[in-house]
Amino acid sequence: MQDLKTKRKGFKLTDTVILLLILIALVVFFSIANRQFIAYANISTMLKNMVLTGVLALGLTPLMIARGLDISFGSAISMISVIMALLYSKVGMNLWAVLIIGVVIAVVIGFINGLIIEKFDLLPIILTLGMMAILQALAMVFANTYAETYSILMLTDELYYFATRTIFGIPYPLIVFIVLVAVYWFILAKTKVGRTIYLVGANPAVAKLSGIKVKKVKILLYVFMGLSTGIASIIIVALTGVGMSYHGAKLPLPVLSAVLLGGISLMGGAGSVWGTVIGVLIVTIIFNGLSVLNIPSYYIQLFQGLALIIIVAAYEIRNKRAAIH
Amino acid sequence: MVSEKTKNFLSVINVFNKNSMTPTLIIVYAVMIILFASINPLYVSLANIKSIFANLTISGILAVGLTIVMLTGNFDLSIGSTLGVAAIICAKLYNIEGMDIPMAAIIIIAIVAGAAIGAVNGFLVAVVGINSIISTLGTLAVFRGFAYLFASETARIYYKPFISLGRGYLFGNIPNTMVYFIVLLVIMYLVLRFTKFGRDIYQVGANKDAARLAGVSIKKTTFMAFVICGMAAAIGGVVMASQLAFAQGEFGLGIEFKILTICVLGGISLAGGRGTLVGVIVATLILGSISNGLALSNVPIDWREAFQGIILITAILIDSIRVRRRQLLRV
Repeated sequence: MQDLKTKRKGFKLTDTVILLLILIALVVFFSIANRQFIAYANISTMLKNMVLTGVLALGLTPLMIARGLDISFGSAISMISVIMALLYSKVGMNLWAVLIIGVVIAVVIGFINGLIIEKFDLLPIILTLGMMAILQALAMVFANTYAETYSILMLTDELYYFATRTIFGIPYPLIVFIVLVAVYWFILAKTKVGRTIYLVGANPAVAKLSGIKVKKVKILLYVFMGLSTGIASIIIVALTGVGMSYHGAKLPLPVLSAVLLGGISLMGGAGSVWGTVIGVLIVTIIFNGLSVLNIPSYYIQLFQGLALIIIVAAYEIRNKRAAIH
Repeated sequence: MVSEKTKNFLSVINVFNKNSMTPTLIIVYAVMIILFASINPLYVSLANIKSIFANLTISGILAVGLTIVMLTGNFDLSIGSTLGVAAIICAKLYNIEGMDIPMAAIIIIAIVAGAAIGAVNGFLVAVVGINSIISTLGTLAVFRGFAYLFASETARIYYKPFISLGRGYLFGNIPNTMVYFIVLLVIMYLVLRFTKFGRDIYQVGANKDAARLAGVSIKKTTFMAFVICGMAAAIGGVVMASQLAFAQGEFGLGIEFKILTICVLGGISLAGGRGTLVGVIVATLILGSISNGLALSNVPIDWREAFQGIILITAILIDSIRVRRRQLLRV
């Protein structure tokens, strides 16, 4: 369905510069608007939000480069957090077992998504939309059936330490994020696997003719998205101490915005990890800055929507101009 | 590549001519009614039937609008927000101190607002060229914010004639809203079937390049499709405000999922260019009756939500299998 006339332009150095400028401008704006913005407490809040959005955005990056998409991760996180909290608090299972089960469930969900999408050649957004509804409902079913409430406590020492302790002044969750960024960047930019992913997204037909098992690659990427979802579930339970059937409800818009802001094209084949990282930073700053200014959450969504439209429009216009010249 | 035997076998399975989903849907609908009625006979009582039909019209009206957009190969995820904005506008305009705006004017303003939102969507997709999923995701957020913005406190409507628009019954038994739905359906069906615009819509969805080469203005057609969808969503918002006699910012939140399910179930192909309103009608009936049926069968509310997701996935699986079969048969 791609127009004959447009050419996809990936993420170039000039893009980075522009995005960085936007980032700096935002920081300056919000710092002036409210001194609280750069207070230590606020920065640590921002970092926590950033890690959550960031882990998910990183998982989405290779998937979307390869023309996949997954919007069910929000509900998956809700369901997994509920299951983990139930297993730990009501059943009394060992913490590590619970965490492992959580990740396994996430990976399985990713696998199912990938399998159904690839085997039946479905539009990823629609399937994961349906998945999102099912998982959200399951989250509520589990919570209501086994706990009669939508929020289940899961307080543990280990997770508390993870959430609050720092090493060299850097909180543990942030270290997780940085490590993931390094890993993803290395794989995507420096290895053959990474180049394969880009090729699969840019031109699946050519990839297939080159002997790449396109379907298997994409299923694998969905599985890794599941892995990111699992990690994000653990982080969110560590940061909040509860498993809630609404944990993931507000996540898709910021995560998707971050990825698209960073230059990942829905058509695939374009984008990079650094773009995603900057996208995550921008989205987190907008969200956090607006909260500090005491703007209600639905307006924040309004601005995020607006930012999404403006940036994507800018990319589109730039692509069109590039194609004509 | 595909053997003669396979082709024969497949065309035999394809009993219903023209790959139409509608006969299958009708069977599903009949089976469903029988199932629910056997679990709880109240399901087929006149009162319940009237209530089902009074409610499903909102989904139906929105589905008609979304169908037009989906036929061009696009999506509109912002219909829920458009509905909310239209409902809020109705409520707000009725509550302005000292001014007594005629009902017709209020309705027209609401519909114009819907058209404006549709125009924004159409502009972003047709002129700027943003993928419709992303842009309508953005407008969803933006206009939902607008809806909350205007709805500072819950606005009630006390104007009887307006309320009877949504709650009244013609001849005591046919809900007024059903009439609006049918009128809209007939108009849209005639447009799709007998006008150049209707044919253009199918063409744009089926094969963009062929459409352009044939002289169809893709931009104008897509733009108008979104405007129509916005207006339909606004009409739905007016009806909802009328039925409930108040409006708040949350109206229509999450409804796009249900409407999407209806359209896909009704045979509108996700790739665009295929599908008719007839299928959408039956799909509206099915989905409108399911939640009612599940509620009467004492199924807990959480499972009902899961059900809709399952239906959607089943619908798209069927859609993709039909696409595959079409491709096989062509070979």
